Amino acid sequence: MTSLNTSRRCKSTRRLPGGLVFAVLVACLPLTVVVSNAHGEAPGDEAAPFVYTLWETFYAEEGGLPNDHIFALRADGDRLWVGTENGLALYHGGTWKSWGEKDGLPWRVVSAIAVSAKTGDVWLGLFGGGLARFSGGRFDHFNQFNSGLVNDVVYGVAVLDDTVWVATTAGMNALNTVTGEWEIYTEKNAPMEEIWCYSVDAADGKVFAAVWGGGILEWDVATRRWNAHRDPDREMEIDLYRDDGLIHIITTSASYVDGVLWASTYFGLSRYDGRHWRGWMDHDSGLASNFINFTVGRSATSSVNATDLGLSVLVDFASDTWVSYRRDAEDAATWSAHVWTGADELATIATNLDLPNHFVIAAEIQGDDVWIGTGHGLARGRGVGYYDGVRPPASAAEPQGDTP
Amino acid sequence: MPRSRLALVVAVVAVAAGALGADRTYVGTAVCRECHGGGHRDQYAAWLRSPHARAWAALARPESLEIARLSGIHENPFANPVCLGCHATAADTEEWERDATFDLADGVQCELCHGPGSEYSSAEVMSDPDRAAAAGLRSPTAVTCLICHKEKGSHTAVIDVRPFDPDEALGRISHTGRGGELDPPPPLPRSSDPDFVGARACAACHEAGKGNYIFSGWRLTGHADAWAVLTGPRGRRIAASEGVAGDPARDEACLRCHSTASGSSRLGPGFDPTLGVQCESCHGPGAGHAAAGIDAAPPARPNRETCERCHTPGIHGMPPTADWDDRQSLIDHSLPTLAQAVAAATPYKTPFNLVVSPDGERLFVACEASGSLVVIDTTTRAVVAEVAVGQLPHGVCLSPDGARAYVSNRGSDTVSVIDTTKLTVEQTIAVGDEPHGLTTDASGGTLYVANAGSGDVSIVDLARGLETKRLAAGRGAWDVARSADGAAVLVTNNLSHFVPFRTPSRSEVTVIETERSVILDRAVITEANLVQGISTAPSGEYALVTLIRTKNLVPMTRVMQGWVMTNGLGIVWRDGRVDQLLLDEPENYFADPTDVVITPDGRLAFVSGGGIDAVAVVDLDRMAATLAAATDRDRAETLPNHMGVSTEYVERRIPVGTNPRGLAISPDGRFVYVAEALADAVGVIDVSRRERVATIDLGGPSDLTLARSGERIFHSAEVTFGGQFSCHSCHPDGGVDGITYDIEPDGIGLNPVDNRSLRGILDTAPFKWTGKNRTIGRQCGPRLAVFFTRIDPFTPDQVVALERYIQTIPRNPNRHRTGDTLTPAQRRGKRLFEREFSNSGEPLTANQRCSGCHTGPYFTNREKNSVGTGTELDTQDVFDVPHLNNIYESAPYLHDGRAETLEEIWTRFNRTDRHGVTNDMTKDQLNDLVEYLKTL
Repeated sequence: MTSLNTSRRCKSTRRLPGGLVFAVLVACLPLTVVVSNAHGEAPGDEAAPFVYTLWETFYAEEGGLPNDHIFALRADGDRLWVGTENGLALYHGGTWKSWGEKDGLPWRVVSAIAVSAKTGDVWLGLFGGGLARFSGGRFDHFNQFNSGLVNDVVYGVAVLDDTVWVATTAGMNALNTVTGEWEIYTEKNAPMEEIWCYSVDAADGKVFAAVWGGGILEWDVATRRWNAHRDPDREMEIDLYRDDGLIHIITTSASYVDGVLWASTYFGLSRYDGRHWRGWMDHDSGLASNFINFTVGRSATSSVNATDLGLSVLVDFASDTWVSYRRDAEDAATWSAHVWTGADELATIATNLDLPNHFVIAAEIQGDDVWIGTGHGLARGRGVGYYDGVRPPASAAEPQGDTP
Repeated sequence: MPRSRLALVVAVVAVAAGALGADRTYVGTAVCRECHGGGHRDQYAAWLRSPHARAWAALARPESLEIARLSGIHENPFANPVCLGCHATAADTEEWERDATFDLADGVQCELCHGPGSEYSSAEVMSDPDRAAAAGLRSPTAVTCLICHKEKGSHTAVIDVRPFDPDEALGRISHTGRGGELDPPPPLPRSSDPDFVGARACAACHEAGKGNYIFSGWRLTGHADAWAVLTGPRGRRIAASEGVAGDPARDEACLRCHSTASGSSRLGPGFDPTLGVQCESCHGPGAGHAAAGIDAAPPARPNRETCERCHTPGIHGMPPTADWDDRQSLIDHSLPTLAQAVAAATPYKTPFNLVVSPDGERLFVACEASGSLVVIDTTTRAVVAEVAVGQLPHGVCLSPDGARAYVSNRGSDTVSVIDTTKLTVEQTIAVGDEPHGLTTDASGGTLYVANAGSGDVSIVDLARGLETKRLAAGRGAWDVARSADGAAVLVTNNLSHFVPFRTPSRSEVTVIETERSVILDRAVITEANLVQGISTAPSGEYALVTLIRTKNLVPMTRVMQGWVMTNGLGIVWRDGRVDQLLLDEPENYFADPTDVVITPDGRLAFVSGGGIDAVAVVDLDRMAATLAAATDRDRAETLPNHMGVSTEYVERRIPVGTNPRGLAISPDGRFVYVAEALADAVGVIDVSRRERVATIDLGGPSDLTLARSGERIFHSAEVTFGGQFSCHSCHPDGGVDGITYDIEPDGIGLNPVDNRSLRGILDTAPFKWTGKNRTIGRQCGPRLAVFFTRIDPFTPDQVVALERYIQTIPRNPNRHRTGDTLTPAQRRGKRLFEREFSNSGEPLTANQRCSGCHTGPYFTNREKNSVGTGTELDTQDVFDVPHLNNIYESAPYLHDGRAETLEEIWTRFNRTDRHGVTNDMTKDQLNDLVEYLKTL
């Protein structure tokens, strides 16, 4: 399979405001050329990954979602929070509930969502509107005027114990919800070559901030120190020495799970286990595109990646097995799933997913299901019969989802 | 050099100077005296003779405790930053800012007036006045003196304080040198194996802690001045008349009786002969005693012969000394312990809340004033035990099996766990700020504590005795109750949410799901505040909460027209709907509804009216019928304000003792117990008879002190038209209700004023945002009748009593500062608070610095100033400079309460830099400044 990488063309968006970035990237889409020569090839007796073939889609016009432009997804048990360009939505038990500014939401654009495992409070990043806490039906608004928030353009939010971490266009914030103290981290007190923080994730005593042009910053809660992970090749768009570090410093998100960091960039995907780095680009893997908007780790060996050319799931790290979901052609009625091992495409499987474009902005894992948010709608891949990793065909579960 | 580059250099130097200023340290008198301690520069001796040198020691006087109490300070004055702010130097500094040569016990030292000396104290720098000034040497002015010497009500009420004339005072403490060459005293004969260690070494054990401030007691005696008097005109005159040719302070004959260890060559490294007749003059050389430390044998006790070695009859031509006993009393330094003094000062009980054991046999009463849990036998109706707990205990609950009692201590931010059999405190658990109400879940494994100060709920794992998390409540989380099915805990909130300027209050009942301990819902109670007491119905259908509907948007003089504050109940239904019904009748209000209990059969509710000394009996079936008969619109708009319907469901009001607060009902539903806070009693109401049948005396004193009398007036609604409200209605716990009032009848909405705390305010006069009232007495005198109460004003005696009570309302401990250590952010913020240069290097005048107006231990210069915050609603733009102590607990801010947070003071309301230069600050600097402000 040959995939012509378009991401380099888009590097000029680096200094654009966030909202404009999306617009420019969408405009780049028609230039994308993807040629596939592996449709319908089955892997024979080789072990196979689970493939989401059964999808549900959700649109504002159906009622429920307040807007089709999806920026953020966050699973909270059996509930899913959805941040859109014009409101917050909650999907629970098959029904939708939504909040807009008339309902007390302090700002219409919800760009990030985190749920406190301790308190159950929902923290919302508001693109241009600061930060909000949604608790018991009440919105509390924190912005750069009434609080210690460093900037109202919030891209990411994460909660670790009593601390809310906020990624903004002017640095990182940490709010201690018990003492009320706000800390700001910028180039003054952190190894932050850029202050445009695009995403943050926190777990197990670590906080990872994806800094657009500054790599990944790792905060150790115990030592209260930052450690910077940057591309040894600096700003080169090629990976000079493979797996020598972060694949590129233009990072868009980080996800820390089971002691492994997944980092998405506009030039590929990186994985770091604390000792070794591993990088993937579209020419040497099943990654649909190097231009990755968001990554979320399912485990130390699997991650889900939202790219400008669809959804790419690294199903199994050990066997380098991928499944990428995308529209194969502009006029395709539905998306196809492409199964890869390394640079070899093994199969193409039809799905019922019919979202109108495959510029995936957000992704989330909820149990066996996977959710994706795009500029034109939301979809859930149903993980009926889901299994982790790869399995020989004989031992694979009943393919209510589907397996190749 | 090009002008631009020159400007850059100037800016860099200025910023560097500012930074240096932040790093200046205090060196102490020992360093100053190296140049200013002898010959023609005897400023050290002049200072030593002045009261400034004894300012710290003065805190050991018994009167200081009373002064502190009138300042709302109910702790050791030696440990309180407000007291130390004027009785010591560098009291607001961290340890690293005080050199080893610095001694806090030297009181008001050179550097309090002249600035920290580390950068200017060398002879080289001091020889160049400009250089010394640049290094931080300040020349004090009258303004400097007035920071501490402006009249303080707490001091004038207790001691005879002369009116302060700063010019005269500056002349009195003048210590101008006479120039000439330095003439330092000869070096002392120090020894590595000393006999004498000096009084400062004695202070290591005989001052703070169990030392009971004996060192300070000595320092207040004439003995401590014995060396200093040799340096004054009288000393020199006497010396000259007795043939001493040179400096008597260096003459062996004089020093023999005016100092200690004169002639000895075995002086310890810290020995200081200028401290006069020290401990070792009477008790003998102390090196061995000091080395033995806690195991030391008692030192020698002086006797008459000891004294008469120096106090010989007719010495210096003076008449024979009075008798021996009188002499001893003059140097007495055996002071009552602080604990004794505090115990003597606070004998009242002040029961706040109470709970009945599951078997109905015991009643547990949390008593705020005595800091104790009183245990009552309900059969004999007598006190059987009293258990000391933390400071200002407020709430009490029991474990489901009754084996443990949990008491919230709002003054110490803890919960005391008490074994109800042994009646001992088993454990003390740290929780949030100002814990009030508390309850367990149905299993008894989790404790929910409402923290009024931090506005949250502590979730405590009782098996581990540890707070596991905090849930954000409303503002001023007050009381808690568990739902009938145990699935939820409901929390009342005393303060309204922040609402847009000139809009009515909105308060909250927070609903917590007990299974996961997460917030489930927040029921909003519109146009209400002071939502305090709560009880859940046995049916599980609703909870009752007490509330006040404060009409703060119209002038308070409207009390004549019928209502300013109405008082009632909120009914919070299971589905989140909220009804409100009043307990008032026209011109017969039910002021300060405080707590509510529901009988086990769910038919009756009892509500305490703290302001009218009564308990209302509410027929809940009739209450439900009243609601059922009303339309939705009436329920939303009419009934909450309708004073004509309360007779339909309020059966009667039962008179009880003074200031009823918490209520508890016996498990069989026969008796309601009432905490009669200001009667030091528990009233017993027979439910079937609907009357109080007994009073249980908790053992408080029978005498009514002036402050206690004032406290009763403060909490009584008798003083307002129709009995609508009391002082307490706006100042719960002496703090604030968090809303902005339209007080004066000058038009709707004009001159809005944010409510201000009464805690520890006496020495922050003048009062009122306009600064018009110089005393609390004036603030609470006839003008109160004009603007608030609209009936006969307080009598003069009542005003005096009320003023005395307000003076004693305890100031909360600061929750953002631990000891004298600041966090890095607070430390950076302090530099910004005191900065002398802007970020661009521009020098800032005093009025452009935070510390310029917010100065002294109260962080106010007690003047009026215009900082550009006046609006079209204000008839003046000059306002009182508010004190900043515990500023974090009195949001909102500014005179009209427009700033919801400290940040907004500068981000929204200081556009022209008139409220200090702040617009150059970066966001992280502003955060640091806010962090420091919280420590004040």
